[in-house]
Amino acid sequence: MLQVLYFVIALLQIPAVIMGLIAMVGLIVQQKSFSDVLTGTLKTLLGMLILGVGTTALIACITPIQNMFQAGFTGTGLHTFVTFDEGVVGAVQSANIKDVGAAIAFTLLFGYLIHIILARITPFKYLYLTGHMIWVHAGAFAILFYSFGLSLFWTVVLASIVDGVYMTLMPALAQPVMRLITGSDEIAFGHGQTLLNMLGAWVGKLIGKKDDSAENMNLPEGLNFFRDMAISISLIMLVVALVAAIVAVIQIGIPAFEKNISGGQNWLVFTIFQALGFTAGVLVLLQGVRMLIAEIVPAFKGIGEKVIPGARPALDCPVIYPFAPNSLIIGLISGSIAQVLAMIILALIGWPVPLPSMIAAFFASGAGAIFGNATGGRRGAWAGGFLWCFVGWFLISFAYKFQVFGNLTAMGAPALGFTVPDAIVPGIVIWGIAKLFGV
Amino acid sequence: MRIATLCGMGFGTSMMLKLFIDDILKAEGIKAEVVPWDLGTFKGNQADIIVAPKGFESHLRSAKSIVVLINNLVDKVEIKSKILEAIKTLPKTGVM
Repeated sequence: MLQVLYFVIALLQIPAVIMGLIAMVGLIVQQKSFSDVLTGTLKTLLGMLILGVGTTALIACITPIQNMFQAGFTGTGLHTFVTFDEGVVGAVQSANIKDVGAAIAFTLLFGYLIHIILARITPFKYLYLTGHMIWVHAGAFAILFYSFGLSLFWTVVLASIVDGVYMTLMPALAQPVMRLITGSDEIAFGHGQTLLNMLGAWVGKLIGKKDDSAENMNLPEGLNFFRDMAISISLIMLVVALVAAIVAVIQIGIPAFEKNISGGQNWLVFTIFQALGFTAGVLVLLQGVRMLIAEIVPAFKGIGEKVIPGARPALDCPVIYPFAPNSLIIGLISGSIAQVLAMIILALIGWPVPLPSMIAAFFASGAGAIFGNATGGRRGAWAGGFLWCFVGWFLISFAYKFQVFGNLTAMGAPALGFTVPDAIVPGIVIWGIAKLFGV
Repeated sequence: MRIATLCGMGFGTSMMLKLFIDDILKAEGIKAEVVPWDLGTFKGNQADIIVAPKGFESHLRSAKSIVVLINNLVDKVEIKSKILEAIKTLPKTGVM
């Protein structure tokens, strides 16, 4: 009998099992059939395991690329890392050092319940439905409080409160601009980009005129292949890895490279396949995310709509792209320029440098430009797109340098950092307060 | 009947479209499996109807399924009329 109890307790500490149980409860509440409940639960559990496989693969490929940078820039103090929210949370939750993975799973559940309750009792009638962002923020806040050395119980309590408040207030903050963008009050913005998008909107208002919209210009379409993750991540990682490898080869020479870094393999072949291997890892990880949230989001939506009738759904950032395709392209261009500029400045002042991210340039600076265009027209769009990645890169670097979310490497996520400002800015504030109290 | 919703990531926009379409089909009493896909998944899988944002048109030229392109992702009226129209054109044998 005692053995059974030990088995159950050991089982319940595994993050994949907790995620599966959350999906199971959701499926039962939706009165799904027995076979739907069973397959949905198992798929969620497998999603969590696939995520672990993906993070292991991508970390295995980042490490040699990091080594190349180190070999190439020895003595300059250059330190690079990859900024990728899903990577951080996936790696930390899979490694599950001292139950932090379990804390993330519980925060996902209780944070959402607090969100639903807050939306019910406050005037902020928004229902946050962006699945991967629900998971990323639950992860970020759980990791934050866990890093203060709190127990599992208090980590989950505090992280869930912050998470619930975040999901309720951020869509409300963005709604005035969302009304300008979509021309209606039907949908809200539910993505971790909000704070930097709002920066774009505020600056846009200061420097531009909204009637001078970027959407009145004629811009070529055809940058759409950036939405294909496999292609855009491969391209950017090939460039990054090749730069690192060439600098390393110049510094230490091909024989030393092939002896110390590539383990005897041809340096160029090795480099190309580290970049592609990284991309493959990201794709596996995203497949895990897909399976993880596929069952949980409909359940959360079903419960939320029962509790808060008429709530506006807060949705993923691409919902605003069709309203402003020109601004989206302006964002991609200005965001890419901003990333390069910020990287140079960060390298010069000796801060850790986040490697370029096409995801941030397209999805984040794109949205920032659309927010900027809504209040400040063309100028606002350029400013919004530029500022997102420029200010964003400093925030990302700050959080990494000062270990705002604790020692992520020790938690299983080496050379990885958070991207979204809605996790980083509250993170820095809470971390700062904790520092004041000597935590 | 299988309806696939498509986006670059396979869990953001596609997930949202899936939720909207689930609601529409439920209200109409139509039974279908609605699955969110990314661009990688759609090439190796079968669906009766593929629903995607307008920007994905160029990726979908080789698709053998009925393709529904949505201009305004949050316009439920547009989504509803286009989906119901696509379902009507399906051969009856394919409907569950």
